[in-house]
Amino acid sequence: MDAIVLAFGLVFQFKVLWVIAASAAFGMFVGAMPGLTATMATALLVPVTFFMEPVPALGAIVTATAMAIFAGDIPAAMLRMPGTPASAAYTDESYLMSKKGLLDLNLGVNLVFSVLGGLFGVVILVVAAPALAELAINFSSFEYFWLAALGLSCAVFIATEDPLKGFVSLLLGLIVGTIGIDPAAGFPRFTFGNVDLMSGISFIPAMIGMFAVSEILRNATAMGGVTEKIQQQVGNIFRGLGPVFRRYWKNFIRGSLLGTLIGALPGAGADIAAWISYAVSKRFSKEPEKFGTGHIEGIVDSTSANNSALAGAWIPALVFGIPGDSITAIVIGVLYMKGMNPGPTVFLQNPQFIYAVFIIFVLANLLMLPLGWLAIKSAKQILRVPRNVLVPLILMFCIVGSYAMTNSIYAVVVMLAMGVLGWLMEENGIPIAPAILGLVLGEMFEQNFMTSMIKSDGSLIGFFNRPIAATLGVLTLATWGWMIFKGVRSSLAPPVRESIP
Amino acid sequence: MRANDALTGLVLIVLAGIMIALTASFPAFPGQKYGPALFPRILGAGLIVCGAVLVWRGVAARRAGAPLVTFAEWTSRPGSAMAFALILGSILLYIFASETVGFIPIAVVILAVLFLWFGVRWLVAIPTAIVATWAIHWFFASAMRVPLPRGWLNNVL
Repeated sequence: MDAIVLAFGLVFQFKVLWVIAASAAFGMFVGAMPGLTATMATALLVPVTFFMEPVPALGAIVTATAMAIFAGDIPAAMLRMPGTPASAAYTDESYLMSKKGLLDLNLGVNLVFSVLGGLFGVVILVVAAPALAELAINFSSFEYFWLAALGLSCAVFIATEDPLKGFVSLLLGLIVGTIGIDPAAGFPRFTFGNVDLMSGISFIPAMIGMFAVSEILRNATAMGGVTEKIQQQVGNIFRGLGPVFRRYWKNFIRGSLLGTLIGALPGAGADIAAWISYAVSKRFSKEPEKFGTGHIEGIVDSTSANNSALAGAWIPALVFGIPGDSITAIVIGVLYMKGMNPGPTVFLQNPQFIYAVFIIFVLANLLMLPLGWLAIKSAKQILRVPRNVLVPLILMFCIVGSYAMTNSIYAVVVMLAMGVLGWLMEENGIPIAPAILGLVLGEMFEQNFMTSMIKSDGSLIGFFNRPIAATLGVLTLATWGWMIFKGVRSSLAPPVRESIP
Repeated sequence: MRANDALTGLVLIVLAGIMIALTASFPAFPGQKYGPALFPRILGAGLIVCGAVLVWRGVAARRAGAPLVTFAEWTSRPGSAMAFALILGSILLYIFASETVGFIPIAVVILAVLFLWFGVRWLVAIPTAIVATWAIHWFFASAMRVPLPRGWLNNVL
């Protein structure tokens, strides 16, 4: 109880609330700009939050991402361009609705169900995380090894269209993670005598490179396209929401639940939650023929799902230190920098931080209602910000932000190298998210693997001796069996569909 | 630039091979079976397997008539190709010159050049470059105390 009071005290300070409000505006803007993603917003925020206390730093990230995921819906409906990948699943549906003259209703549904979905996810986070933490307190290296293995497998298996390339991405991330002092014996690996490399590849510059620089490279080559004008006027977005809620409240519950679960699975975040819940909605709809013609039903499911996924992703991140999506992967990096190693012990030692995160989540989702309304009303102005001014500014910010992480040019080199690597990977259909997960989890994964190997003296039976470890192990192996089966099948019949470059 | 899977696979196999070769020099600790070389070797082996499957897949695609390397449509537009090079060039310039020249001049130059190349008018580009540099410098150097390189302006600031 004391911890909750303490948490309120940590959040309700002028400085913290100011940071939350500012990052909310920032998140809205980044989310509404097509080509700038919520993950990029997080990567750009980290250099700024680096110098803050843990609570405002986490608050900034929570708020900005929640806003960005909603704001991505605005250009989707108005311009048929998703503001973030999380809105891509229902961009066409939204755009068709606004062509039918239902723009107001569409934006209203997107806003209100984003708020509700977000809150739904927070409730599950608040209930599930402490309970799981109590369970996790007894975990040994075997359980952590399998948890990390299962998490990494999920990232490859669920989050990617082509598991083989997902696995390549994961391995690349893990390999980059092995650079530096090894966690078991303290031997410097792949450092070539370079002092900077001894401490490993700096995580945040790597992240800025992979998520922001690669995106800047893509944006730079697409510059000069015709900017579309927004024609539609936005009226009262809250009209007609009552009937939608009465008719589709089951979709809301289903979408939010699915979103939270998918968010909690490592590697799969808001975008995949939206795709899957849209598909589920169509599959179980009474009128599936209306999907794809500007029908609201699937939007209710998926717009709730992508916002609830955000909170869901924090469950494994806080409890096990295993990120649920690429945003929480960055968050874990931030937590380590702040000396708050995520894991069940945080729940015991610093519960006020956990509660503070919960409170900020609720605040952020409530704040989304007025701010989202404002963003919708001023969408014309936001979308008019010229991209040719924005892209160089973001680049400069990335450079300085990376530099600030190590106070040396080394971080800028890491940023550039990882940016080019990330760009090349995406160009060749290799997803980035598994690599990031590998990079974040690499050290913990290896450490638990080595400890377990030494404890069991190299016998793999030892990995299955404890009940929870055995369950997780079997689950992991089953995932692998299925993955290899699918992989063999798909390479026997190469996919016709090329992934979008 | 989209390379045929066979090429990607080959690159991965070579990389993994080099990595495994490097682990040969890692020390083994007496009385302990598993040293720092174990994990990278497992990863390298995994990458070789993946690379081999990619090569196999790529060869099959090549037989079906897929090109070895496809360049994206923008590479044939000089403006876009130059934009790509300018972005990379800006970062490289910062890496090599910022310590001597200093943050402020280099940031103004990078921003102004990029703005102008992307078609921002002179009257907007130059003031924006200066104001943005000042804002970034104020935030990071003054407020956050990041030691941004001073370079030529060492005596002025």
